[in-house]
Amino acid sequence: MSNDLVIKALHANIEEKEILRGVNLTIRGGTIHAIMGPNGSGKSTLASVIAGHPGYEVASGEIWYKGQNILELDPDERSKLGLFLAFQYPVAVPGVSVANFLRAALNAHRSEEGKDPKETAIPMAQFRKQLREGMQALEMDEGFARRYLNEGFSGGEKKRLEILQMTMLRPTMAVMDETDSGLDIDALRIVAEGVNRLAHPDMGVLVITHYQRLLNYIKPHFVSVMMDGRIVRDAGPELALELEEKGYDWLREELTA
Amino acid sequence: MTLLTLKELTADIIGERAKVAGEPHWLVERRREAWAHFAQAGPPEWRRTDLSGIDPTALAPSSDTLVTIELDASLERLGVVAKPLRAALTSHEALIQRYLDTAVAPLEHKFSALRAALWQDGAFIFVPKDVAAEMPIRVRYHLPPIGHTTLPRTLVIAEAHSSLTLIEEFSSPDQSVPSLAAPISEIFAGPGSSVRFISAQRWGNGVYHIAGQKAVLEQDANLEWTSIGLGAKVQHIEAETTLKGNGSQVNWYGATFAGSDQLLLTGPWLRHVGHRAESFMQFKTVVNGNGYSVFDGMIKIEHESAATSTRLEEHALHLSPQARNDSIPGLKIDTNSVLKGGHASTSGDVDEEQLFYMQARGISKTEAKRMIVMGFFSPALDSIPVESLREELEATIESKI
Repeated sequence: MSNDLVIKALHANIEEKEILRGVNLTIRGGTIHAIMGPNGSGKSTLASVIAGHPGYEVASGEIWYKGQNILELDPDERSKLGLFLAFQYPVAVPGVSVANFLRAALNAHRSEEGKDPKETAIPMAQFRKQLREGMQALEMDEGFARRYLNEGFSGGEKKRLEILQMTMLRPTMAVMDETDSGLDIDALRIVAEGVNRLAHPDMGVLVITHYQRLLNYIKPHFVSVMMDGRIVRDAGPELALELEEKGYDWLREELTA
Repeated sequence: MTLLTLKELTADIIGERAKVAGEPHWLVERRREAWAHFAQAGPPEWRRTDLSGIDPTALAPSSDTLVTIELDASLERLGVVAKPLRAALTSHEALIQRYLDTAVAPLEHKFSALRAALWQDGAFIFVPKDVAAEMPIRVRYHLPPIGHTTLPRTLVIAEAHSSLTLIEEFSSPDQSVPSLAAPISEIFAGPGSSVRFISAQRWGNGVYHIAGQKAVLEQDANLEWTSIGLGAKVQHIEAETTLKGNGSQVNWYGATFAGSDQLLLTGPWLRHVGHRAESFMQFKTVVNGNGYSVFDGMIKIEHESAATSTRLEEHALHLSPQARNDSIPGLKIDTNSVLKGGHASTSGDVDEEQLFYMQARGISKTEAKRMIVMGFFSPALDSIPVESLREELEATIESKI
């Protein structure tokens, strides 16, 4: 069983429009891997397809993780396998508090087939302690846990909550979809520190970003570039700096030359 | 006493029975008058409530009402009264005569007349001036084992600057034959009083619930009303809060869940009479299977009112494509002096993005749906001060998802 996330010849459509046109990519377990690319290149679609968003249709291809083709799994089963998607646009769920949501998610992860969920559920005191510690590390106010999930949250609060969830669920592979969007520098630093605490060597990270900025805080081992629904280049961290400096056009020209 | 069906009853029999039961003259006369009205009135013209599955005239009202009343001893010491209405006729006759039938109009239609003519018993709740009744008072109505018709009534009198929490529940096992429950609830909130009223309808299958509920708020009175409708085959609730006094306020939350083979109608009205009165209504409806719910809410701003602030919202969640919800919010304004007024209604399926977001955290689709529904109902559920009741209601809701 491998902790690498292996994407093979992945084609995916949304409303019959092909967005991913044969993605081949391996994220090695425990490494930080950035995908950069211009807007509309399919980066966020890739993140959604990895997590199992029902709005995307996978036409062909495979995604292997821990010995399973995860395309055959429901989103919740993927999560329980150790995958995590930090959403670009976290969804509000009115009436469901942050604390209740986190507890339900933790208990789902702890549940075991054939066992009474009450037996495997996290003891309340332990949950409260974990939650408190997680929130402190992310400089979140205590009252936060009682608020309804993402309802009326600022951009920064939403992203912190994504990292808090990641902290508590302890995934082995996390996909960060444009986590830097809408964050000021302080929030960006807090979020990045949160990721770094969990990452390498325990957790692989796929960082999806348009800008180099985030990569100053979360240092990748590998950088891949996505254009028009394909990975067009794999390289080391130096590529991110080059893209920051020169933009994407030179690469496009090189590829078509 | 033999049980007679409505077909067999007459004004004389009803009057005679009331006299034998020791009821005061004024009540005997009111029953006779209501019965005369019932006997001559045609069936009510309700466009959406389908009563074809029941023939009330073939049913026999049972000889008594099954009611349990829970009052904490500490409240009793403060002078709070909560006892069967029939027993209160002896101890508090003058109060009952003054208030009974003055909120819910007895002669409005055939069923209101039936309720006024034949009510068997109920609950009498009285909180004296300046007394704060902190512990919730509970009134539970059950279905009689035979007869299958119950006509209970709740009468609440909160004197000036008093406060109370009342939980009124209707519950029974599923019924093998159609049964009728026709309750009345009347609430009188005195000047500066604070009333929390939770009314939960969770009859078993087969029950037809045709209820009249009304609260009248005096000056600066405050009402928090929660209406929960989960059970019965057919529910037809005509409810109203009259903001009679200046500066009176109501916050009214509703949670209705119509599953397969249920038709649950709620018609909550906000009637503004006083000046600077404020009202907020938010009803949530979930429909599943081939269930059908109707929200027939209304804001009525009377001529004599002034500087009204009001808002009415209804939100519906569809769990199945066969389920139906009709939302008919209305606004009638007979004055030029309105400070704020508005209504909104929304309707939709369970949000796919919400489901996906929760599933992406490991929560199963079933559990995610359950959490979304509970979250949807949270304004009503959060207002229930008794944890065990809340859990029971949540379990009922869960079984219907």
